[in-house]
Amino acid sequence: MFLLQFRNELWKLFGKKRTYIGFGAFFVAQILMCVFLRYSEAQRDLAALLEGNGYLAENYISALTVAVYMLIPQILLLMPLYTTLVGGDMVAKEAEDGTLRMILSRPVSRVRLLFLKWLTGVLFCFLLVLALGFVAAAIARVWFPWRDMFVWIPELVFSVLDAGEGLKLYALSQVFLATNAVVAFSIAFMFSCFNMKPAAATILALSVLFLSLVMDNIPFFERYKEWFLPHHFRCWLHVFAQPTPWARIWESQCILVGVALTVFIIGAAAFQMRDIKS
Amino acid sequence: MIELRHLTKRFGDRLAVENLDLTVQRGEIYGLLGHNGAGKSTAIGMMLGQVWPTNGEVRVCGHDVTTRRQRALEKVGAIFEAPVFYDYLTGRQNLEMLASYTAPVVPDRLGEIIDWVGLSGREHTKVRTYSHGMRARLAIAQALLPQPELLILDEPGSGLDPEGIHEMRHTILRLRREMGLTILLSSHLLNEVEQLCARIAVLNQGRKVFEGAIAEATGRQNWLRLRVGDFAAAVKSLLAERLIADHRDGRLITLIDGICSDQIVRRLVEQGMPVFEITPEAETLENFYLGLTKNA
Repeated sequence: MFLLQFRNELWKLFGKKRTYIGFGAFFVAQILMCVFLRYSEAQRDLAALLEGNGYLAENYISALTVAVYMLIPQILLLMPLYTTLVGGDMVAKEAEDGTLRMILSRPVSRVRLLFLKWLTGVLFCFLLVLALGFVAAAIARVWFPWRDMFVWIPELVFSVLDAGEGLKLYALSQVFLATNAVVAFSIAFMFSCFNMKPAAATILALSVLFLSLVMDNIPFFERYKEWFLPHHFRCWLHVFAQPTPWARIWESQCILVGVALTVFIIGAAAFQMRDIKS
Repeated sequence: MIELRHLTKRFGDRLAVENLDLTVQRGEIYGLLGHNGAGKSTAIGMMLGQVWPTNGEVRVCGHDVTTRRQRALEKVGAIFEAPVFYDYLTGRQNLEMLASYTAPVVPDRLGEIIDWVGLSGREHTKVRTYSHGMRARLAIAQALLPQPELLILDEPGSGLDPEGIHEMRHTILRLRREMGLTILLSSHLLNEVEQLCARIAVLNQGRKVFEGAIAEATGRQNWLRLRVGDFAAAVKSLLAERLIADHRDGRLITLIDGICSDQIVRRLVEQGMPVFEITPEAETLENFYLGLTKNA
């Protein structure tokens, strides 16, 4: 029964065209960024940074280096947008359309229904991030050679890796990126469980994320940075550090998973208590 | 099948349903009447565990909906006004999906129900291409899939054309005849309720103002149609003689117990008022309903 209901939720999510907006937008954004990096002065600035640190630029301006550079702004801005769009829709859109009332005239518990929906959203986040990572590397490979990797890591200066090691860590970083996506999705999902329009749930979730980003970037709040989500969101880049700061990464992962579960529980409690009316 | 005891629902300061008692017996078609905002949909929401009561108890199929919702709704199907589906999925996918929240459905049962509602050949088409009537049939199909014993219909005729309403009425009668279902029907369409239901309850501003058989409602007062030269003068005289209890619409009177129509005619003729017609007027549900809600 659980698997059947899970399949149904997948049908619903992946049957909608708007679910694919994120995939399409990432694809277009990556092509534009890649072309810009290839044919603009940006590449020269990167070369200057590398050579200033004693590295031969042509060895490190590679497909993997560019892929990571393209991911940073997309993870910061585009990914929250598309995951919150889906999260905000998940319950509120069904309540608005009236299909939720149809489902809740059946003997299914609200918590179970919500958990199924959340799980579907989590799967969406993983697929979105994996597609994003794969397409970034594939597109970068079209314009850039397959060589060693250079990654600038916030708080830890930078790291240089050979192509094989770089690819392994790039694949691993996608798992941690998916956690970021799940947190953004879960915040929107929580708002979606309250009695509000889907757009309001998305906007509120984006507001929370952007406010957190702004606070994280204010120098006066430096000592409180552990309280802001972007500080933990950055842990995916720490995967590339040598040696890898696993304690810092797992600490952030635990906090992010904790946030995702907490907002799910808050959403479930609100959903359980509310009246579902036409 | 349904028992509501002292059921109350308050939304903030607004009392949507007040101290509602109601019983729907197995096998009957029960009508729930009331204008917009009277509390019908809120009451139905509480029966389906979608709206939490502020006070009181709701039992469906013998189980308390508030504490044992899943058991209570195992044998319940529901249809809401303007049925909504996932337009981007096919009719069959919609049915499979909605049914899975009760129990998995075998393909034979699915085919049987699709055939019963007359959607064979269209079940693999996306719902966005369905007409309003087809959506109404799909709504019936989804309600029947879990093999319900009780069907709750909230304004099922809403938005349908006269042909659709006619079809819906016959479907409801077929459901009771062929499947022996108990049906709770909430509707604005008084004519439909009159033709379908054995018993009704009328809600007004969240309160039940009448519950009883249709015959009791329409036969409550025996109105007589009186055609005379001057109706106002005739009524004045008959009231003075204590022969009639009430009058309305400039043509209808109702007699005091023990008075017969021949006494009315005799009295009026004696007073020089010719009587052209005096005949029983059947009370319609519409008149009864309007009278009730106006008085309340």
